[in-house]
Amino acid sequence: MESLLQYLDRFSELLVVSRTTHVRTWDPLTVRRALQWARYLRHIYRRFGRHGPIRTTLERRLHSQWRQEGGFGRGPVPGLANFQALGHGDVLLSLRLLENQALGDAARHYLVQQLFPGPGVPDADETLQESLARLARCGSAVHMLRFNGCRKNLNLQEDSLMKTQAELLLERLQEVGKAEAEGPARFLSSLWERLPQNNFLKVIAVALLQPPLSPRPQEESEPSIHKTPGEGSQALVHWLLGNSEVFAAFCRALPAGILTLVTSRHPALSPVYLGLLTDWGQRLHYDLQKGIWVETESQDVPWEELHNRFQSLCQAPPPLKDKVLTALETCKAQDGDFEVPGLSIWTDLLLALRSGAFRKRQVLGLSPGLSSV
Amino acid sequence: MAQDSVDLSCDYQFWMQKLSVWDQASTLETQQDTCLHLTQFQEFLRKMYETLKDMNSNTIFERFPTIDQLLAKACWNPFILAYDESQKILIWCLCCLINKEPQNSRQSKLNSWIQGILSHILSALRFDKEVALFTQGLGYAPVDYYPGLLKNMVLSLASELRENHLHGFNTQRRMTPERLASLSRVCVPLITLPDVDPLVEALLVCHGHEPQEILQPEFFEAVNEAILLKKISLPMSAVVCLWLRHLPSLEKAMLHLFEKLISSERNCLRRIECFIKDSSLPQAACHPAIFRVVDEMFRCALLESDGAPEIIATIQVFTQCFVEALGKENKQLRFALKTYFPYTSPSLAVVLLQDPQDVPREHWLQTLKHISELLREAVEDQTHGSRGDPLESWFLFVHFGGWAEMVAEQLLRSAAEPPAALLWLLAFYYSPHDGRQQRAQTMMVCRGTLQAW
Repeated sequence: MESLLQYLDRFSELLVVSRTTHVRTWDPLTVRRALQWARYLRHIYRRFGRHGPIRTTLERRLHSQWRQEGGFGRGPVPGLANFQALGHGDVLLSLRLLENQALGDAARHYLVQQLFPGPGVPDADETLQESLARLARCGSAVHMLRFNGCRKNLNLQEDSLMKTQAELLLERLQEVGKAEAEGPARFLSSLWERLPQNNFLKVIAVALLQPPLSPRPQEESEPSIHKTPGEGSQALVHWLLGNSEVFAAFCRALPAGILTLVTSRHPALSPVYLGLLTDWGQRLHYDLQKGIWVETESQDVPWEELHNRFQSLCQAPPPLKDKVLTALETCKAQDGDFEVPGLSIWTDLLLALRSGAFRKRQVLGLSPGLSSV
Repeated sequence: MAQDSVDLSCDYQFWMQKLSVWDQASTLETQQDTCLHLTQFQEFLRKMYETLKDMNSNTIFERFPTIDQLLAKACWNPFILAYDESQKILIWCLCCLINKEPQNSRQSKLNSWIQGILSHILSALRFDKEVALFTQGLGYAPVDYYPGLLKNMVLSLASELRENHLHGFNTQRRMTPERLASLSRVCVPLITLPDVDPLVEALLVCHGHEPQEILQPEFFEAVNEAILLKKISLPMSAVVCLWLRHLPSLEKAMLHLFEKLISSERNCLRRIECFIKDSSLPQAACHPAIFRVVDEMFRCALLESDGAPEIIATIQVFTQCFVEALGKENKQLRFALKTYFPYTSPSLAVVLLQDPQDVPREHWLQTLKHISELLREAVEDQTHGSRGDPLESWFLFVHFGGWAEMVAEQLLRSAAEPPAALLWLLAFYYSPHDGRQQRAQTMMVCRGTLQAW
């Protein structure tokens, strides 16, 4: 077992080095050894992937490697990302080496010969060649479908690219959570600082809307032994609740409909969301001349958007909808319980929501009886 | 050898030109043209590889000075990279260009360039910068998530297609014909990639809103080819849709079956049955439109071959398999017999379609006499407006080998006077074109032979 763990360590190191200029010093023998280790680990993965104790030991070793590299606050894991990566470690290594222009002539020639031996060469490792060919084919397929077939204006959670990113995020969070209890929070914070924030927020939203059990397809379908669905999204909710500025950005960036869906799915978020909306509302003041509610400062949320969000929330199913209405009524009461428009924003919002609902019932042909708003 | 090399140089020029025109295959015309030539281009790549693999880099460049451009252009065409084994062969060709021991910086640079191109082919054509940053930020490489991404895209498109026919009046949500056509074109090189099966199935099965066919013919041809060569496995419903929507595919499937039957040497009935069942045609023929086309092709084959016994045997086995498949169909969804045999009287069709084994032994003679009567009526009576052409009736009877065999059996077995009805049937089976008198003569000869025996 110890020797296996050493292989794992050395191979992880190799992966890291394969991206650096250090490969200049590599000769064909080094490349050969590296590929052999990769092949060996792939074999281990295939044989013992379902074997609880061995898999756990290997995973723990990977986790301790990550911790040694500074945990999750610093950057992405440079070596092996997770246990599944062992299944295609040879592909990972090969691609990194191919991308590295620092590779010497002899090493490069040897590498290419090993990766693409050609048809019918005896003793050749055809699996690697086939995996690489399949990857190229897959890539073209994705490219062609994206540019020639996919719908442009999709709902966010229906977009395949968003969905895939969300699945990756959830998987990673689960992995990180296994390695370190506080891992996910630090990891998410580091991502927030490093990555394009707009995209990140969208991915978080889609991740929070994923159905509870969504296993990622592997080359060989094997059951993930430590599967507890929903861990990843719990970690996300927890982090959002603990980072108010992120949550504020989240609520501003995403459209009303998405936020309603997210808060229905994760009730823990609704009080904070409502709190934010209340804060936003209080920043608006009534302009007597124009007869509308306007922002105090340019970055405040305007009336239309506020109304939009409340309208969307009022169309949500019962527990959330009632909470929202109660909150609005409470605010209205605190403001003085006015019925006349122009004095309290909460009164006006409620009036707008009611008349909107009334008009909607008319359009749908429903009886104009007691509206539930 | 010399001729081969001249051919290769000609081909080389041809393909160089084609690739330049196609560029990245981003327009409808370039996509269609690329799809039409995918198979031949792959063949050309194979031939190139066979030639290049025995040469060293310098010799290659002397012979084909622009080879690097040709291969590079091919790499930029996603349709070529997506097709079958083209990406693999392309890579092999590129590997041949590498200098084992570069003598100067130019050769070194060439090696670097080739490394770059190989990396490009395998880098899975990244697009959004944000997405790339995100996935890298998480620590994932394309090989980790590209299969999952493809799966998501395929499933999303497949479910969109399935729901397409629900959006009757909601034209916003409907898929535009251009997008449908584009999707079908894009699938042509991908047909043998198993991840794309759900999308292929959805395309075949989806109902459009337009009166004319939207999907590109090259799509249907490619799917059909893959089905015949067993490179794809689709559910029966999708195959039936394919054959219903694209007649040439059905015809090709039949021809493929005929070729197999002709080319294999000694065909026992068991083997014929195997080939036929394997082709999925009997099952598909449960749909009357398909049955009619198949039947028509059998009729043509029979006429062309002047009633060759091999063709008759094939028809009989096919009909047996067809009746078996029909029996397994959901009773409520079954079509009326008239749709399969429109020119036959319903009573005759019903009797013939019975399995002889299902009829109790003591009723065999009676049933055969009944069949004989009905057929004789159809053949000899020309005033009732039915198709009096004896060939139609004969062709119908020929389908049902079980009954034809039974006639002979009954005649040989019974010790009593052979019934005229059975004699007529036998004479008709072997000589449908005889006039009344001729047939009466044949019947007499037959009777005489049997009695003598």
